[in-house]
Amino acid sequence: MASYDQPEDRQGGYSLMGTKEKAARPALDWRQVNDGYVLRIFGDWQVSHVRRIAKEIKKLKCGTAGAGPKDLTVDMAGLSGLDTAGAMLILDMNELLKSKGFMPHIINVREADQILFDLISRHPREKAGNEAKSSMVLNLVRDLGSTVVSIGRDIIEITAMIGQVTQSLLGLLIRPWRLRFTSLVHHMEHAGLKAVSIISLICFLIGAVIMQQSVEQLRAYSAEYFSIDMLGILALREVGVLLTSIMIAGRSGAAFTAEIGSMKMREEVDAMRALGISPVETLIVPRVLALVIALPLLTFIGNIMCLAGGALIAYQVMNIDLQSFVERLNDGVDIRHFYVGLIKTPFVALIIGIVGTLEGMRVQGSAESLGTHVRASVVKSIFLVIILDAAFAMALTAIGI
Amino acid sequence: MVALETPRMNPIIEVRHLHKQFGTQVVFEDLNLDVYEGEVLGIVGQSGGGKSVLLRCLNGLERYSAGKISFFGQDTAQMSGKDLRHVEARSGLLFQDGALFSALTVLQNIQVPMREHISLPKNIMDELAYLKLALVGLPANAAHKYPSELSGGMRKRAGLARALALDPKIVFLDEPTAGLDPIGANEFDMLIRDLQRTLGLTVFMVTHDLDSIFAICDRVAVLADRRIVRNGTPTELTKDPGHPWIKSYFCGERGRKAQGTAQGS
Repeated sequence: MASYDQPEDRQGGYSLMGTKEKAARPALDWRQVNDGYVLRIFGDWQVSHVRRIAKEIKKLKCGTAGAGPKDLTVDMAGLSGLDTAGAMLILDMNELLKSKGFMPHIINVREADQILFDLISRHPREKAGNEAKSSMVLNLVRDLGSTVVSIGRDIIEITAMIGQVTQSLLGLLIRPWRLRFTSLVHHMEHAGLKAVSIISLICFLIGAVIMQQSVEQLRAYSAEYFSIDMLGILALREVGVLLTSIMIAGRSGAAFTAEIGSMKMREEVDAMRALGISPVETLIVPRVLALVIALPLLTFIGNIMCLAGGALIAYQVMNIDLQSFVERLNDGVDIRHFYVGLIKTPFVALIIGIVGTLEGMRVQGSAESLGTHVRASVVKSIFLVIILDAAFAMALTAIGI
Repeated sequence: MVALETPRMNPIIEVRHLHKQFGTQVVFEDLNLDVYEGEVLGIVGQSGGGKSVLLRCLNGLERYSAGKISFFGQDTAQMSGKDLRHVEARSGLLFQDGALFSALTVLQNIQVPMREHISLPKNIMDELAYLKLALVGLPANAAHKYPSELSGGMRKRAGLARALALDPKIVFLDEPTAGLDPIGANEFDMLIRDLQRTLGLTVFMVTHDLDSIFAICDRVAVLADRRIVRNGTPTELTKDPGHPWIKSYFCGERGRKAQGTAQGS
């Protein structure tokens, strides 16, 4: 029990804080005595002085011992403080001197310092090499390859997830009481109801901007009246859907990934599986279903707000009142444009929901992984929403709708 | 320092009349505690009794309502930012699950305090980090692993290596053996004991593991009724509990067993 008692003599040199008592500069003194050499060590060899210590060791002019091993006495009487960093550097220095043909032997070492030296020599510092550094070209090829592989894996996993969700949904048709109704309503509130204000606002503003710009451009042909037709078609077919789904992808898709991801990190998802609860049924289906219900409704609101923004500008710029605006809209814009816009929304919702939850399920243990997957979720779902929209646009135009 | 005092009796930390409350709930009331240089001090107490809050107060992670905490004879409330950083560099903290930074490898985790508090040449920093890794008994191939790839016991060891990165005078350990199997817990106890002896560390350990208390604690302070009700060696407390909680803690079935094992070994 006594071994951790420090010897009295340490009290002088060692300060607890190091600020109050002046720290002693570490130094080395090398001299030749008769046919041997003496190396004296002074000062505080502690981690805060490592730079100076390294400099001192570099400065050491010992040359090589020449023929035959030369005796070297390492005198530690002047050593006033030592910690593991200092002890490590002293031992490394001794190794260096040995390799140059000196035979160092240590004298005047304190008991406590000897314990430190023993401790460090007892623990050889093995090193593990870092991953081999490869060339830039090789890195590029590797990155390209892994990107291709991950795209392939995305396609497979998204397809698999669509399958699982469909299976679960079909199961719900047979046993509807298994639907997590509370969870569904909760997610409809968070992804749907609470998004109404922000989606209304952006759609209103974008509607106004489109109207204002088209009036400006069409005025040159005295066709500004047609800007109402244009806004109607644009808003109902594309803008309302795209704005709403991009907003929801950023807002709810990211939230889904983060929620499921943090559950995954704390092994809650595994706990569910262990308890025989299907994560697809409890976590994924309510979220996806909530979006499939909420997104068409939000898109409808977005469409109306887009038109409202246009109506405001039409009144401001062309002095067209609301009644004439609606009449013009009725004459110029066919109802099918509205249906075209709306038919896309369940598919878009499915994509956002599936990508969001899938990325959540992919989260690994670390906080960084969560960040990576939330980012991936938003980027992928917005990308896929736009791809889907483009596909719909081409297909529907081709068949003349 | 007074020459007559033995080194053991130098308090590194003095806590005086500490008062802390969350809302209306009083956690500490007139709490007094000394931590002496070179000792292993165990803090025990009911769960929810504020052991971890005390540790957080001492490390400046939690504000206290009244009282004084002195480190190395200086009141922490009066210290300048520079002095506080100095104290931080002189004390290491091991959180319950290691609290390693998940985005960094083990080696980088150990180097965080080195980068933060002093500037070191890269090669020496690597050498030092590998040395600490060896000291806490981790294999070299753990160096480039991420915390999520390590087992709980290895994470604790890595956390300890990070706490020891700057050769602190004092290390704070929060439940160091919680969640480890008996073999792992015993190894960790011995590791702490070894390092404490060889590095001359002072160890402040919040625990409820009776085995580690009897195996490595020089002194135990009991936190009950919002203050330190008693402190002494584990054997003293067993012989003369003086407080119903201490009695049930040390003289219960588990307490007797742990004491028996410690004396047997």
